[in-house]
Amino acid sequence: MIRPCDIMTVSLARLIRDGETVFHGVSSHIPMIAVLLAKKQHAPNAVHLNIPGGVDPREPELKAYTSAGGELWETACAALPLQEVFDLSMRGGLDVAFLSGVQFDQYGRVNASVIGDYRRPKVRLPGGAGSAVLIPTAKRAILWRTKHDKRTFTEKLDFVTAQGHVSDIVTPLCCFTMHEGELILKSIHPGHTLDEVAANTGFPIRYFSAETTPEPTAEEMRALREIDPGDLRNLEFK
Amino acid sequence: MDKLCSMREAAASVQDGALIALGGNTLNRAPMEAVLELIRLRKQHLRLIKTAGGLDVDLLALGGCLDSVDAGFISLETEYGLAQHYRRAVQAGQVIANEHACYTVISALRAGAYGIPFMPVRGLQISDLRKVNDYFADVADPFGGEKLAAVKALRPDVAVIHVQKADACGNALIEGPKYDDVLMTRAAKRVIVTAEAIVDDGWFSRNEVKADVPHFMVSHVVRARMGAFPGSCFGAYEPDEQMIRRYTGLENAVQLRELIGEVEKV
Repeated sequence: MIRPCDIMTVSLARLIRDGETVFHGVSSHIPMIAVLLAKKQHAPNAVHLNIPGGVDPREPELKAYTSAGGELWETACAALPLQEVFDLSMRGGLDVAFLSGVQFDQYGRVNASVIGDYRRPKVRLPGGAGSAVLIPTAKRAILWRTKHDKRTFTEKLDFVTAQGHVSDIVTPLCCFTMHEGELILKSIHPGHTLDEVAANTGFPIRYFSAETTPEPTAEEMRALREIDPGDLRNLEFK
Repeated sequence: MDKLCSMREAAASVQDGALIALGGNTLNRAPMEAVLELIRLRKQHLRLIKTAGGLDVDLLALGGCLDSVDAGFISLETEYGLAQHYRRAVQAGQVIANEHACYTVISALRAGAYGIPFMPVRGLQISDLRKVNDYFADVADPFGGEKLAAVKALRPDVAVIHVQKADACGNALIEGPKYDDVLMTRAAKRVIVTAEAIVDDGWFSRNEVKADVPHFMVSHVVRARMGAFPGSCFGAYEPDEQMIRRYTGLENAVQLRELIGEVEKV
């Protein structure tokens, strides 16, 4: 049985191309591990950028409580703090930003702010962090969300925290990609079905050919266990 | 000039209603001991600035110390989850959440540090955040005409940062990730430094590594071993799970005051 955290991490890693500058933020263990995996596998020259500002940390000893701590600094080769990662994105130099949210619509827009009214919310969410400036300025914003249901993938957002260059969204059920301004289904993870994806998505599913997401290879799984011996990629599913 | 003082004295210098920037990021190197002292002193109407806040913002909200929070993200991250006290305070209308993108906090502080009224920012103009917040506006490039968003400057009355080393005059060194602390000290009218260790007066003069914060910006220096507890401090300690769970499990301000009274005695 393939665990959702493994197929998600591997699917995110495969979206990173060699040589790209790649950023992830707080509460981002899955993309953090995906960046480390991509660098270990097919994209050794990808540049790992993060909040503490440690560029390309080598074999960091990952922590459960943060994806923005000193562990990404200790073994880094250079310092490029958050402020300057944002500056890089502003001037068009950031290839990939990994971000998340709580609601997504079929146009790849993201709500990470509130459920209900902005000033008197029913639920105050943590906030979009860098989304509102990174999604429109990074060349590609890759999103992940560990919940896939009709409240998460919805026709109508309560609030548009960010929109712009979303290229892909990876969930426990499938991979979406953007096509002419709308999300289309790219692949369905092994063990799941088109009906299941459709039943858990609040907007109509469109696709050209719904392929099956390639399973994690034995080599990818071995690398994942080396990078993440504490299984922190599964934190969001606990 | 010797600025060493007690935590009580430093926290007491923060006026009710002050615009206050807190250093660190989520559970990393936040000035927690100073935060607890602000709660003990029953400070009120504080207006907080932080890029990504965690337990610091959560406890100040529970303690009834806050009017507003300008921040990009408030959470204890994945392992400890949502900042529930803060979330409830905002939902009850007790605290105003002024949501930023983390970069717009940085840009607002830069404008404050540069002595200019606003900073242009790219991208934000297509976010609902631009529409609903009066600290954002539209602005056009006066040379080329490109439409951007403007972020209003933030000039904190005080920045409170926790560092590994400081001398009694206020020269302060951050080891490991500096997050947005240095910028906060430049934007703020004054700085309170709490430090794991106080080094002797000539330490920075003799050392190749120089302080990140020069003494003349600093008004108070406090020796605070474990000053980021129960969060982490780079090179010194990791978060204390048990204590974090006790704080996040609290139900009201009375319980918080009981708990931090107890912590004070330890």
